[in-house]
Parts: sequence; structure tokens; C-alpha cells
Amino acid sequence: MKPNIYLNLTPEALIASMLSPEEFGSYMAVGIKKRTRGQVIFLEVDGDAIEDILPLEYINERCIPQEGGRPKSSVYLSIYRVLESIPVSALKSLYLTTDDGRTMEIKKGDYPGDIKSSAHLYQELCPVTPRIISKLAPAQFIDYMTKGTEKVSVPKLAFVELQLNGLTEDFENSPAHNLPYPNIDHLRDCLKILNEEPGKTQKTIVRFFSRELLFRTIKNGFFIGDNKEMVYYPFPSEEELNDKNYAWWRSAKSIGFN
Amino acid sequence: MQNIDNIFWFIPFSSLIALGFAFHFFKQVMKESEGTDKMIKVASHVRKGAMAYLKQQYKVVGIFFLIIVILFSVLAYGFNLQNEWVPGAFLTGGFFSALAGFFGMKTATYASARTANAARTSLNMALRVAFRSGAVMGLVVVGLGLFDISAWFIVLNYFVDEPTVAEKMMIITTTMLTFGMGASAQALFARVGGGIFTKAADVGGDLVGKVEAGIPEDDPRNPATIADNVGDNVGDVAGMGADLYESYCGSILATAALGAAAFMKDADSQMKAILAPMLIAAVGIILSIIGIYMVKAKEGATQRQLLKSLSRGTNISSALIIVFSWIILYVLELDNIWGIWGAIVTGLITGIIIGRATEYYTSEEYRPTQKIAESSNTGAATVIISGLGMGMISTAIPVMAVVAGIIFSFLFASEFDVNNMSIGLYGIGIAAVGMLSTLGITLATDAYGPIADNAGGNAEMCELGPEVRKRTDSLDSLGNTTAATGKGFAIGSAALTALALLASYIEELKIGIIRLLQTAENYSFPNGKVVFSASEVSAISLTDFMNFFKVNLMNPTVLIGIFIGSMMAFVFCGLTMNAVGRAAGAMVDEVRRQFREIPGILSGKNEPDYANCVAISTKGAQKEMMLPSILAITVPIAVGLIFGVAGTMGLLVGGLGAGFVLAVFMANSGGAWDNAKKYVEAGHLGGKGSAAHKATVIGDTVGDPFKDTSGPSLNILIKLMSMVAIVMSGVTVAYSLL
Repeated sequence: MKPNIYLNLTPEALIASMLSPEEFGSYMAVGIKKRTRGQVIFLEVDGDAIEDILPLEYINERCIPQEGGRPKSSVYLSIYRVLESIPVSALKSLYLTTDDGRTMEIKKGDYPGDIKSSAHLYQELCPVTPRIISKLAPAQFIDYMTKGTEKVSVPKLAFVELQLNGLTEDFENSPAHNLPYPNIDHLRDCLKILNEEPGKTQKTIVRFFSRELLFRTIKNGFFIGDNKEMVYYPFPSEEELNDKNYAWWRSAKSIGFN
Repeated sequence: MQNIDNIFWFIPFSSLIALGFAFHFFKQVMKESEGTDKMIKVASHVRKGAMAYLKQQYKVVGIFFLIIVILFSVLAYGFNLQNEWVPGAFLTGGFFSALAGFFGMKTATYASARTANAARTSLNMALRVAFRSGAVMGLVVVGLGLFDISAWFIVLNYFVDEPTVAEKMMIITTTMLTFGMGASAQALFARVGGGIFTKAADVGGDLVGKVEAGIPEDDPRNPATIADNVGDNVGDVAGMGADLYESYCGSILATAALGAAAFMKDADSQMKAILAPMLIAAVGIILSIIGIYMVKAKEGATQRQLLKSLSRGTNISSALIIVFSWIILYVLELDNIWGIWGAIVTGLITGIIIGRATEYYTSEEYRPTQKIAESSNTGAATVIISGLGMGMISTAIPVMAVVAGIIFSFLFASEFDVNNMSIGLYGIGIAAVGMLSTLGITLATDAYGPIADNAGGNAEMCELGPEVRKRTDSLDSLGNTTAATGKGFAIGSAALTALALLASYIEELKIGIIRLLQTAENYSFPNGKVVFSASEVSAISLTDFMNFFKVNLMNPTVLIGIFIGSMMAFVFCGLTMNAVGRAAGAMVDEVRRQFREIPGILSGKNEPDYANCVAISTKGAQKEMMLPSILAITVPIAVGLIFGVAGTMGLLVGGLGAGFVLAVFMANSGGAWDNAKKYVEAGHLGGKGSAAHKATVIGDTVGDPFKDTSGPSLNILIKLMSMVAIVMSGVTVAYSLL
């Protein structure tokens, strides 16, 4: 049986596994005996498309059924500069796994085009993980960050756009009721700076991602790519989640204490 | 045998009507389908768990009852310190209370899947199934309660033989009062055991979900989920039912005893005063049934409209009881009709004020709860602090309402003559009866809550469609509101009932002394006064009685009693709180074990061992309820034996004062913490997942045993201590050291 190849985004790692995406997500989130938990964001990669970079012998040797016929859960192939080495075209579906191991598949979608907004909130996921606000729309942002002309750039980027609700229009007075971000006043200050300094296109809000993304705060979806190509994974609407992925959605909305 | 007025027969008739309608509603509910195979399976797990709990509970309670019946038999037949009817009366009180709990639980556990399934058709259908199932509990409680009262009245009226009708009625009513102890003892175990079970499962399950696994509520992968659903029935159906059964019977019986004493001089008036509370309760049953039929909702009804449709039933019943209680008093031709009627209305208004105050302090629509939620911006500690503070402040209105209720019911009944103590106290008793007269529908509204909650759980576990979940969520949310006001009502009625029992304690003491005089030449009161005959004792006024027993604040034994009574409320609370902590800990360990040892629970490949979690909660509840229960029963006996009547009066006053205020505080703090969390979850202060949310979740977890274990258990404590004192009054007057 040919193993599946997964690209884990948080933290980045290329992993071979005999498990299906749902089983792999569950395994990564809660292990076998439920002594750990934590969300997982990963992509399925077309193994054939990246055959030239895969250590096939190593995979064939290690990724085999374990004692008792149990499929091998994970064989780590790479943990450094992984995303940049995978062609965007080789990326298949994106999977979001909740703390308690429920996995939802998100298929690639068509990017709806830039929606004009005075500010966007982006959580970068890979290879770096700051949370920033930007005047640039997702496609512009990915281009800006990966074209290599800026002092700060990365070869390829995966990020998700988060909700700002009324703060986009009125960062000072909008009540921000349903936004669960820590230090909301800091976010307001940053929006003010971004708004008041014409030359400034982005500002860092949080320097380090705690690996806990509240899925309910996702605005439109996930973006992965560079200045040449980009894939978009649209996050389903709440209505669609309630209708088709209710178990996952409930799990995604429940909070845990670490 | 004294001829019973024809009008009396309306009382047993009405109780049978209640039972008939309960059966009719039960059949109607059972006609509904339970839905898909999965829904049936989930419901069957809950049903089995609930019945396993009840079986174990009744086994323990059965042993306890056996011991007490033997003790009472020895006191009655061996030492002539008690009426020979007491063991039997005690037994039937407990038996009927347990039977009501059994029927209520059975119906509730049959109804949850049916409600969820009805929600697949329409909101109104689901409301109808859930509410009529709750009505089974409401009507069984009032039906069995009134049936037991009327049956004992008929039996005792046939067998008791006294020289005068007035004395006979005194003996009958005071004997009947002791059956309240059976109901009280049963309620103690139902409330304390049920409260520990439900919160061990809920807190244990929640801790696993939130701390261990991040699993949402009502997720079938959580091994404690079924136990949590069982707990809703055990605590809020059986526990609440037994609590209110006791208040219902206790208030009627205490008022009848007070009436018998207050109108001793005129046999005709005495009989009317005895029958009045029973007749008001009987008419209340018919009006409750009318109210139940008024509850219906339009499809797509909003939360406010749903609440309105439930309130319509209770409001109509309450409005009608105001009119019909006057008619009853008019037909009975009781003296001071307007005054007694004023006392009844006072009781009703007191209940409404307490209910509204509870809603104000616990609903997220009002500022107190919103303020607690806002304090979450600075962390969990400030949520706890503000919840405690708000809970303490929230005691003011209910306490003042009860104070006003006592003053007005006393003054109305006594025709504003403060010296007319016995009739004034009768007024307080009948105010409690007025408050509880429409219990049939009030309890239906309370019992509806856990049924709707379980229906929501069933819909979640069986992954029913979004429209169905929306309907069950609406019903569940409505149930949360009615549960909070129901708790306020239960506490308020317990306070008034306990007050009526406290007053009737004096009457029981008289009977105790009269019984002593059958074997002794005289009886010497603590103040030196000596009496030689029963007629002499019967003629002593209530105020003189208090003087003879030196019940005044300068007597240290009264103060000692007050201190011990106040302490009892806190110790009892502490014991039940710690019990929940320990039982919840055991549940967490079990769930951890299951995750470790049963592979595939989280992936859904294997089903958890739900039954074991139910067994652990059951075992924890049975074990942990013993110490507080034994304490609640033995302390009044010990205080009576050591400090005498004065000490016992102090104990009851201290227990009632501290217990009532503490119960309101705990119920309101817990309810407000719960709704502060819901307020945040509704999208305020950052909404779900925010730091504010985490802080309010901690507040809610702390508040769980407050509102569902310790607070409600105090209702029983304050009534049970009075009941024990009443039943043991013969022993107290015979053997007290001081």
C-alpha cells in the first residue's frame, strides 16, 4: 500500500503515513491513548508530484504495518523549510483537526478576488507564525511577502485571514463583542497606527502563534503560495458547517483548558 | 366517628383527577415515536442509568426507613412517647414521595427522545410532549400528596377516639403531620443524593471535556455524557419533585394542625379551618390541569414567545386560584373570609416576587449577571468574587418578600390583632398553601426543563438536522430560565413551609405532654409550672407555652440552639460541596481510564462504557449523602435531648434563618455564574474561546454544586429539622436534660 504524504503546517513537517487523513488528524491531535491533545492543520500532498524530493527507500523501509498489523501512523521525512520545497500544484485538500481529533476536509476553491477593506487580519501559519494586520488583500499580501524584494520575506507562505468585524470601519469605537482575541486594545492601537501612517502597509499584532487557532474566527479561508501561484481553501459558512459538518463545528467551537 | 362534611370528598376526588390526568398525559406521551434507532439507543442508555440509580437509591432509603420505623414503633408501642399511627404515617409519606419520583423519572426518561423526535416535526409538538411529560410529574406529586393526606384523614377520623371533637381533630392533624417526616426523609435522600449524582456527572464530564479532551457537551464520545443526562433527571426531576412534594404536604398538614389548634373552641370552625388548606390544594389541582392545556406555542416562536406560552399556563392558574380560594372560603363560611383570603393572596404574591427576583439576579438579560460577565475581563478570580457578592446581595429581595409575607399573612388572618397569635400563624401556614396550591403546573414547568435538556442532548448525540437542533435548543434554553425561577420558588415555599412547621411544633409538644400525662401524674415545665390533665395542657395559649418552656432570647439554650442551627446550614453545605468535588474527581479518573483502556473511543470506533460512569456517580452519591443526611436527622434529636424545647426552637430558628438565606445565595450565585457564561457565549466580551469565556466557564463550574446540590439541599434541611423536631417532640418533653 502506497503511504499518504502529509504536510503539517503547525509546525511544518513532511510526514508519510499509512493512515487516512481523518485517522492521521486524530492521531496527531490526541494520540492513541488520549494522553495529549492539540489541533492540527495539515495538507495532503500528491506524492507522485514530489517523487523527486521524497526519500522513497526510507519510506518503504519505515512506513510499514506495525506489530499486529496496525498501520504505521507517522514517519517524519522533513521538519525544516518544508513548505518552500513543495510545489503549490502538488497540494491537495487541506484538513483541519480539532483538539479532540475531529477532522474536516477543505477542498481547493476559486479565489473570489480581492475584497476592498481598510485592514485585514492575517495569522501566518508557515514558515513563520506572527499575527499581523495589513492593508493588503490576500493575493497582494502573498505577493508582497514572497516576491523577495522586501527586507522581510519568505519563499512561500501559508496563512489564514481572520475576522475583524466592525473594527475595520471603526477601530476605536466598534464594540468587538464577538472577537475572542487577547489584548483587544492593543489590536485597536495597531489599527490606529496602520490607519494613521500612510506608508505603512502592515503591523505585527502578536509575534508568536500559540498553535491554537480559533476556527470560528476565520473570515474567508486559507491561502498558500508565492508570488507566482496561490491556492485558496475557502472556509465553509456557518450555515454549511451546521448542515454538513456539525460534529466538527461543535468540536471546533468548544474550548479546552491547557 | 365524626361525620365528614360532604365537601371533604372533593379532596380525594381531586387527587384522583390529578392521577387520572397524569396517566392520560403519560399515555399521550407514550404514543409518540422515539425516533430513529440511534435515538432509541441513547434514550435507553439514559433510562437504564436513571432506573439503576433509583433502584440503588431506594435500596439505601429502604434500609433507612426500616430502621426509623422500628425506632418509631419502639417509641410508640414500647414507651408511649408517640402516637401509634406515626410509624405507618411516616412510611406512607416516604412511600408516596418515592412513588412520585419513580413515575416522574420514568416519564421524563421516556419523554426526552420523544421530544427530540417531535422537534423533527414542529416546535409546538416538541413543547407539547416535553411539557405534558413534565405535567405527569407535577400531577403525580400533587395527586399522590393529596391522596395520602385525604386517605389518612379518613382512616384517622374512623379510628381515633377522643372525648371531644376538638381534641380528636387535634390528634388527627398532629398525627398526620408526622407523615411529612416520611416525605422529608425521602426528599433528603432524593435531593442530596440526586444533587451529588447530577453534579458529579456534570462537573466530572465537563472537566474531562474541557481539561482532558476538549470534547463538547453531550458528545457521545465522552463516557460521562449519559451519566450527565441521567443526572438531569435524578436531580431536577426526582430531587425537585421530592422537595416540592414535601413542601406541598408539609404546608397543608402544618396549616391543618395550626387550624385545629387555633379554632379549638368551636368544632365547626375547627373542621372548616382544617379542610380549607386541603380544599385550596384540591381546587389548585383542577386549575393546574386547566393551565396545562393553555400551554402551546406557534411554529417558529421566539424565546420570549415560548416563555410567554409557559407563563400563560401558570398565570391563568394563579389568577384563577385567587378567585376560587375566595369561593372556597365563602362556601366554608369560615370566619374572617377576607383576612384568610388576604393571607392566601399574600402567599401567592410572595412566590411571584421571589420568582421575579431570582430571574432578575440570574438572567443574562439583566445587569447583575451582565456585571459578573464583565468582571471576566480581569480573570476568573474576579468572576468568582463578583458572583459571590452578587449572590449575597440577591438575598435581600427574597428575604424581604418572605418578611412581608409573614407580616401581612399574619396580620390579615389575625384581623390585625397581634395578640391573636394562633390564628395569625394559621394565616402564615395558609399563605404557604396559597403559594403551593398550583404546584401541579409549577412543577410541570420545572420538570419540563431537564426533559428539554435531555431532548437537546439526544438531538446532539444523534446528530439530528440543524432545524431540529434549533428547536431543541430553544426548548432547552427556555428550560434553563424556568429551572432558575423554579429553584427560587422551591426555596421560598420551603421557607414558608418551615415557618408553618415551626409554629405547629408547639402543637406537637402539647400532644407529647398529653401523652406523658397518660402514664404520669403531672408534667413540670422548665419554668416550674406544673400541669395535671390533658384539658389543662390543651387550654394553654401559645404565648404561655413559650414562657413555660423559657423560649426567650435571655435563655442561653435558645442562643445555643440558634448557633447550632446556623452552623448546621453551613456544615451541611460544606459537606455536600465536598461530596461533589470527590465524586466528580472519581468520575474524571474513570473517564481517563476508559480513554486509556478502550481504544477507539475518540475516533468513534468503540462506544465508551456509559454504565460504569453511571455506576460511579451512583456509588459516589450514595456514599457521600450519608453523612449530611445522618447529621440533618440526628442533630435535632440530640439538641432536643440535651437542650430541650428551648434549644430545639433555637435550632429550628437558626437553621431556618441561616439556611434560607444561604440557599437563596447559593442558588442565585450558581445561576448567575451559569448565565454569565452563556452571556459571553452569545457573543459578548469576546465570545466563545476568549479569555473572558474561560474565566466564566470556571465560574460556572464553581457554581454547579452551589445551584444544583448544596443550595437545593438546604431546602430539605430547614424543613427536615422541623419535621424531626415535631416527630420527636414526645421524646424531647420526656427526656430532655435541660
